[in-house]
Amino acid sequence: MRREIPVIITFVVGILFLLNNVVAVELGSMSLANIVKELSTWVTVVSAFAVGIASVNLVRVHSRNIGSRRPRWGLSVILVVTFVIFTVVGISASTYKMPWAIPLNQNLFDYIQTPLGSAMFSLIAFYIASAAYRAFRLRSTEATILLISAVLLMLGRAPIGEVIWSKFPTIATWLMNIPNAAGQRAVLIGAAIGGFAVALRVLLGMERGHLGGE
Amino acid sequence: MEFIKKLQTIDNRIIYAVMLVCLALPLLFPIGIPLSIAENTQSVYDLIETLGPEHKVILSLDYEPASSPDVHPQAVAVSRHLFERGVQVIYVSFWEAGPMFAEGLIADFTSQYQLEYGKNVVNLGFIAGRETAIRAFGDDMINTAPVDYKNQPTSSLPIMEGVVDAKDIDLFITFSGGSPGVLEWVRQVQAQHNVDLAAGAVTVSVPGFIPFVQSGQLKGLLAGLRGAAEYEVVSGLPGSAVAKMDGQSLGHLAVIMFIVLGNIAYLTTKKDKE
Repeated sequence: MRREIPVIITFVVGILFLLNNVVAVELGSMSLANIVKELSTWVTVVSAFAVGIASVNLVRVHSRNIGSRRPRWGLSVILVVTFVIFTVVGISASTYKMPWAIPLNQNLFDYIQTPLGSAMFSLIAFYIASAAYRAFRLRSTEATILLISAVLLMLGRAPIGEVIWSKFPTIATWLMNIPNAAGQRAVLIGAAIGGFAVALRVLLGMERGHLGGE
Repeated sequence: MEFIKKLQTIDNRIIYAVMLVCLALPLLFPIGIPLSIAENTQSVYDLIETLGPEHKVILSLDYEPASSPDVHPQAVAVSRHLFERGVQVIYVSFWEAGPMFAEGLIADFTSQYQLEYGKNVVNLGFIAGRETAIRAFGDDMINTAPVDYKNQPTSSLPIMEGVVDAKDIDLFITFSGGSPGVLEWVRQVQAQHNVDLAAGAVTVSVPGFIPFVQSGQLKGLLAGLRGAAEYEVVSGLPGSAVAKMDGQSLGHLAVIMFIVLGNIAYLTTKKDKE
């Protein structure tokens, strides 16, 4: 029954959500829409628990690294200490409204977390330059089309392109609105149909990967 | 000829150094390259120009620190425009870091526009649950966000008076750094309630959202840092996004230069082999 009960719950709840988009049903004093609305708020509660479980697991894994002195356990110490500091300050600020914690919480976010996160993302610019230099070669017809489109878009999207030739932005806009939009529509429709097929399999219990185990 | 062959294998450190100079130098010595306004950006501006103090707008800050350089300037520019017009702004987020960005925006604009928390601005905080949470929020805002970021009951706030579901909001704008983001808002709120939805997104995601602009599901779309810069220009208040566009221009030119050099070397070497 360990696997059957989750499958039954998935089917019942899934059918309710699916029917709610199609029909309006009154079930005694309650309507299907109200039941679905109530279940939707339960998802918010369960998801909040998932965030908590993820945090506990993170500390557990890295504490084990520290205790067993695994390679680079020093990094685990930094992670756990930082985690504790941010958690204590965050809870003190948001839940207990401690005067010392509120500005400290915002400052930790503005002056440590945001610059560090931004710096990591910014590394992509350098990797893209290096990857573009090595990958964009005129090896075939398709590669040539890709290269020319990429260069036209880069010149069309950067202000310098319009200074070089006033038509670059027009060409870039055409590339985005016509060939790109056509391809993206195909991807969106394909993904939607594929997603619906997977959802149907999950609803009917034919797909059980999300249950874990065997 | 040896030199031409070497152009095929330029050391990564040289590429990184050139990129660093191209991106950083314009911040110290601005060039001031003129910027034109895209139609999608103008659409967002025109939409907000129709709003006033009696209107309510929801800004969903769905990004994290990593994607904030691309998206947060959009939120800053749009927030400034909304506060200038006296529009009531409700911040919400379906990403964990979103409320912190909202708190920063409220702190930055409170004295400038005499904002009164709870009356013309509120931060509803982070709502867990991804796409399902977005759907629940659109269907029943008070029950999905029963307390705001300061733990005050949402139903007691003047700005939330009369707000039950998405139809009670005049405009939704999502600033998206990934998923959940624009797609989820289109599917679960715009399609369900037929409301006005605009978006700002990281540059790399923008091509995927063009079909929604063409279908009318998105009333406008700000494209990355360029979109933020365009919005600053069209608002008449150039800021940090405009200042960074010179660096973006030089960076693009540098990438194109490396691509051209690599292909010159490749074609010359290929011809020699043949």
